[in-house]
Amino acid sequence: MVYIHHCACVSPQPNLLTAQTETIQESVDNVLHVMEPKYDGIPLGVLRRMGKAVRMGVGTALPLIHKHDKPLQGIVIGTANGGMEDCIKFLNQVIEFEEGTLTPTNFVQSTTNAIASQLGMMSSNKGYNITHVNRGLSFENALLDVIMLLREHPTQAYLLGGVEEISNYNYNIDHLAGSYKKEIISNLHLYDSKTDGSIAGEGVAMFIADAEGVGAIAVVDAIKLLPADQVDEIVVQLQLFLATHLSEGEVIDVLLTGENGDERLNPFYGAVEEVLKGATVARYKHLTGEFATASALSLYIACQVLESQTLPSHLLKYPSAKKEIKKILLYNNHKGVQHSFILVSKI
Amino acid sequence: MGDTVALNRQALSSAHCGITSLELFPSKYSETLRFGEVKITNEQLKQKLAVRDQGVTRTTLLAMHAFEDAVRQSGLTSTEISSYDTVLIGANTVGGMCLTDELYHDANNDKEGSAYLSSYDIGSVNLFMQQHYGMKGVGNTINTACSSSANAIMYGARLIHHGFAKRAIVGGTDSLAKFTINGFNALHILSPEICKPFDQNRQGLNLAEGAGFLVLEREEDVPHKKVYAVLSGYCNANDAYHPSSLSDNGDGPFLAMQGALSSAGLKPEQISFVNAHGTATGNNDEVEGKAMQRVFSTVPYFASTKSNTGHALGGSGAIEAVFSVLNLVHQELYPSLNFDTPIESTGLVPIQQYIQTPVDHVMSNSFGFGGNCSSLIFSKA
Repeated sequence: MVYIHHCACVSPQPNLLTAQTETIQESVDNVLHVMEPKYDGIPLGVLRRMGKAVRMGVGTALPLIHKHDKPLQGIVIGTANGGMEDCIKFLNQVIEFEEGTLTPTNFVQSTTNAIASQLGMMSSNKGYNITHVNRGLSFENALLDVIMLLREHPTQAYLLGGVEEISNYNYNIDHLAGSYKKEIISNLHLYDSKTDGSIAGEGVAMFIADAEGVGAIAVVDAIKLLPADQVDEIVVQLQLFLATHLSEGEVIDVLLTGENGDERLNPFYGAVEEVLKGATVARYKHLTGEFATASALSLYIACQVLESQTLPSHLLKYPSAKKEIKKILLYNNHKGVQHSFILVSKI
Repeated sequence: MGDTVALNRQALSSAHCGITSLELFPSKYSETLRFGEVKITNEQLKQKLAVRDQGVTRTTLLAMHAFEDAVRQSGLTSTEISSYDTVLIGANTVGGMCLTDELYHDANNDKEGSAYLSSYDIGSVNLFMQQHYGMKGVGNTINTACSSSANAIMYGARLIHHGFAKRAIVGGTDSLAKFTINGFNALHILSPEICKPFDQNRQGLNLAEGAGFLVLEREEDVPHKKVYAVLSGYCNANDAYHPSSLSDNGDGPFLAMQGALSSAGLKPEQISFVNAHGTATGNNDEVEGKAMQRVFSTVPYFASTKSNTGHALGGSGAIEAVFSVLNLVHQELYPSLNFDTPIESTGLVPIQQYIQTPVDHVMSNSFGFGGNCSSLIFSKA
């Protein structure tokens, strides 16, 4: 059991939850870039020296770390690519200067563990510090790690987060690989699209988690990570997951999926919706775009929905007559081969 | 030093050093710096592994080679490998960035891509392996810089401990890349000569490539199998001091070693040998030495096998875990090479000859950029 006490995010929207349809930030050329806040409490000079992924990650997490009333036992981050912009900037220098004399700044910033390690440094946290980098199951592994850490140290608290940046470089690579749509669309019509690919996005979500429920805003009951490429297999594993983690009489009130407008993945989402017939079905990637750790933002949304008991209408795919939202199931599917279920409950 | 455990043991026992100038990998620094290069071409690896897929990187091929050797020795069946309770936990720091020119092209181009579009990220290595070997269990990849694969070993063990897995195939890999060669060179920590761990006149590290994998299973699940060693303790701690160097006191290394001892339930004096991180940078070896002196009232036998292999970054923790297991299985210690003069502030002298001696518990240290420090303890089976 992972109790979530504080959470914060940076996303392409000014506010992920109160956004009404008419105030949703629109994508430009199939990319949704984050709207970064000022990151109060971090000196400008320090922020300027940071690459975007590190800045977003550190800027979002540090206030949470300070907000929590006891010291954290460790920092657990999931990110597929970390500071991609710095990484390719350094690589470009290697090629363009033919391995000449280079400055190491971009190199040091670009390592994927830079976010967690900067956070360790800036909050003087000498505890557990790790970065999970398993592409579309990076944040999920971070969450699984925290589940284990809290069983090992039930009186401690941890920072858990997911971070991804979109730069021209990783947009190009993933675009060439067919991850994004060939035609330009608007995120407002993401789910109407009947073509392959999604739109690119980026974002950060950070959580303070412990094993004690007092004062928590939501609780993660269980997680399942699933490398698979067959719809039938997902259905069987989902049924198994529900049978294991729902008690007699408990139901999923809301299914929040990672549906992203990629026609190739719709059979998976359709099959999962079918298993959970009767649940409200909601989706969020028109707000965030697609990226490997987008599921971190879905956990943020779930925490907010469970606490506020309101679900903005533009998130809804299939509304239901349910009044109280007690249990939300998150289902994400990264490129048809990396799947996850996360069960989140109201306190 | 070789592509089998036996060849590596032979090299370690006979004080062989595998560090040379570059023969296969083209770099401006091929002749001026020294590297631990695996002298097997990608084509040879592909042939050996019967891999025909396009877009497979050297980082992945090295990992597959070690993975297959470990699986063969463990006697896991193909049903066990593809079982939902078998997990693959890997680690690396360069992913497909060994393909500098292809990545340069694909990242700066929007027309037409190479065969490697899905092979650049760090996660690509394990994703390919999971698909190739039909693995259904939890997969993960960890990057904590130079301690990455030590953390992969820890994570796999914890998944078993918590019931998320019955068996874990854990390890790490890295291949030489212009990205890391030039990154470390820009930090002025690459040595033009063969590295001299724990020597007062050490000049830096030699970058290397390689991979190591281990199969972890619960003792009660494998009563009839040969058990090489027991992973008895581990700890991950952070130095929280500087992005690319360790603090003078070595709090991170100290906490990692101390935490591993307490997780194993061992007293410092029970450690027979320390496989040190020992990169031979000015910063690491002095701080690691001081931290060992804080942990141990008398520092036990210690050595840096990086004097044999160079520093394979994300692969090194797993490679050195295999070497630690060899210490235990064969009850022998291997010499640290190229040592002349102790570091003034510590006076510590690594073991310099091959000896046979009772070896009960071996500590293996891995410390990385970002203060990411981890220590593992392996014990006699």
